[in-house]
Amino acid sequence: MMHNPSKVKQKILKKFIMGLRSCNSSHENLSVSERRRIIKLSADLALASVRNGSRRWSRAIIEEASRSPDNKGLVQQMLGSDGDNHLPGPIPWEGRSDRNGAGHVTKSKSVVAASSKKIVKRCRRVRRSNGRAPRRNEAASIAKRLVKKRTQLLKDFVPGGRDMDDVSLIEETLDYMVWLRAQVDVMRALACSLPTTSS
Amino acid sequence: MSSRSRSSRQGSSRISDDQIVDLVSKLRSLLPEIRNGRRSDKVSASKVLQETCNYIRNLHQEVDDLSERLSQLLQTIDPDSAEASIIRSLIM
Repeated sequence: MMHNPSKVKQKILKKFIMGLRSCNSSHENLSVSERRRIIKLSADLALASVRNGSRRWSRAIIEEASRSPDNKGLVQQMLGSDGDNHLPGPIPWEGRSDRNGAGHVTKSKSVVAASSKKIVKRCRRVRRSNGRAPRRNEAASIAKRLVKKRTQLLKDFVPGGRDMDDVSLIEETLDYMVWLRAQVDVMRALACSLPTTSS
Repeated sequence: MSSRSRSSRQGSSRISDDQIVDLVSKLRSLLPEIRNGRRSDKVSASKVLQETCNYIRNLHQEVDDLSERLSQLLQTIDPDSAEASIIRSLIM
């Protein structure tokens, strides 16, 4: 899925540093939280731009970032040099663009645990009412429902996931997982290589 | 994108059993815990999806933590001066 990881990471790093420069050059005194926001945005945009718009999740990251006026400058700076390469061409089966949200939302563990408990309770109820283990097709439908539920949760974690059908979602997830991992590796490598001592 | 994948998506947003098996096995092979831990044949599709959500959520958390850490480190460091040595260190 990623042919040359270290080359990819170098590209991500170069783009990332391009964005980081704006932290130092544009304003003298940025607050820590604003600096953090720009750093995270630079990393996300670096990833999306290196992926080059060939995946829905990468286009979703760029679209969502472009929506906020605060980000316009950074988006331009990081993606402008490559030209407008968001879409390789019109994609007929894609519907409306994502108007819903600001990208991925982290679900708390308690939400996931609560819905899992509900499903298990439902399974136990079915078993008790029959007086024996559920028949094979009942177990299969419960399994299908679980898969459906978990697939819905996954939509919130993948950029642009809310507008995807289930098959696209999992294909996008497979790709996103690997590339997101590369982004984290780059950020960690940068953090570890910078000197920590301050005067 | 092959035409085969396009036609399988036409008119249906529900995932078929064969597609589940194929895609979930790919997900499973990417997940560190499942790959290193239990026997792969015992892990269900829903478990794989759950682990995938956890994995991505953890990665997002790492991005946030690293952004925080970098925001403190970069207060004094000029990214340009660090770039050359860092890129060198990343060439594995």
